[in-house]
Amino acid sequence: MITAEQKPIREIRDMIAPYKRILVLGCGSCVAECAAGGEKETAMLASALRMAAKMDQEDFDIHEMTLDRQCVNDFILQLDDVIDQYDAVLSLGCGAGVQAVADMYQEIPVIPALNTEFLGQTKDQGYWVENCLGCGDCMLYHFGGICPLARCSKQILNGPCGGSMDGRCEINPEIDCAWQMIIDRLSKFQALERLEKIYPPKDWSKKQGSGPRKIIREDQRK
Amino acid sequence: MTNKQEPTLALFYCQNVPDSGVGERQLLEEKYGPRLRLFPIPCSGRLEPLHLLRALEELADAAYVITCPGDQCRYFEGNARAKKRVERTKQILSDIGLETDRVGIIMGTKEAAKGLPTLAAEILDTTTQLGISPVFAKKT
Repeated sequence: MITAEQKPIREIRDMIAPYKRILVLGCGSCVAECAAGGEKETAMLASALRMAAKMDQEDFDIHEMTLDRQCVNDFILQLDDVIDQYDAVLSLGCGAGVQAVADMYQEIPVIPALNTEFLGQTKDQGYWVENCLGCGDCMLYHFGGICPLARCSKQILNGPCGGSMDGRCEINPEIDCAWQMIIDRLSKFQALERLEKIYPPKDWSKKQGSGPRKIIREDQRK
Repeated sequence: MTNKQEPTLALFYCQNVPDSGVGERQLLEEKYGPRLRLFPIPCSGRLEPLHLLRALEELADAAYVITCPGDQCRYFEGNARAKKRVERTKQILSDIGLETDRVGIIMGTKEAAKGLPTLAAEILDTTTQLGISPVFAKKT
């Protein structure tokens, strides 16, 4: 899922300052799972902004609403009936959600309330870790399901580097050595021979080398 | 904006707190009137920052939660969760410039457990000292 964190409230208040009628718009998908932009967080931010406005005797009209998905047009269309009532949308969607809403309603400013972070796994309650860079050419088969690009501090494809201590990364001892994990895991199903191959440098053109990526599936299109 | 004369306390409390039955609640409501708004909850772990924020936004000058003593939670960790959520709420209040003392948590001890009427009186004193919240300040 896509992870995100709320921006500082001061930064958010500065961005919404020019507007009076504001729709605080949450998203019930990834950012709800990481407790940054779901219905609950949206209501909390809206409440905090209303209180801040009252304390500073500013004249704001702040309402909140949460879509099931902010990055899918079919859901965004639910705003058709209310969008005219607002001067700006403060979105608690990820970067894709913010831009999807902005794309749909060209005349209204859509302001991000979150900093979108990474593709992550929910490791534990309240604990998310990055383990995929979305490189466009998945190599997890070769590395026993552990991505050295996302999880090794040095992003080396032909490891280990030799610097780890007790299974911990020498650059950041708080994280496990990805290459230790790769070797341990491949050993468990007798597949260490996959590491005998020398892997060439990553072809990053499949990630961002040609501008924004897109996927078109004719079988799914109207 | 309101024309409040006296500070209001929104008090959430775990129904496991001593002397917190319906009878005691009615007596407290009669004694303190609109100064005290009581919200019994099955476990303090049910409390969310949003409950405290909404109380402070809509009606209260302070919003507190009373939990059962540290190791006495019927659901094992409800009061520990409540503590973290109050801390989170305090951070939000700090971010918007509202005094963090306007929210709080009272977690008694098994040895010196106080009943709801005693704790409500003590927290009301704190609320009175804090005064009317700037959220309800009149426009000048």
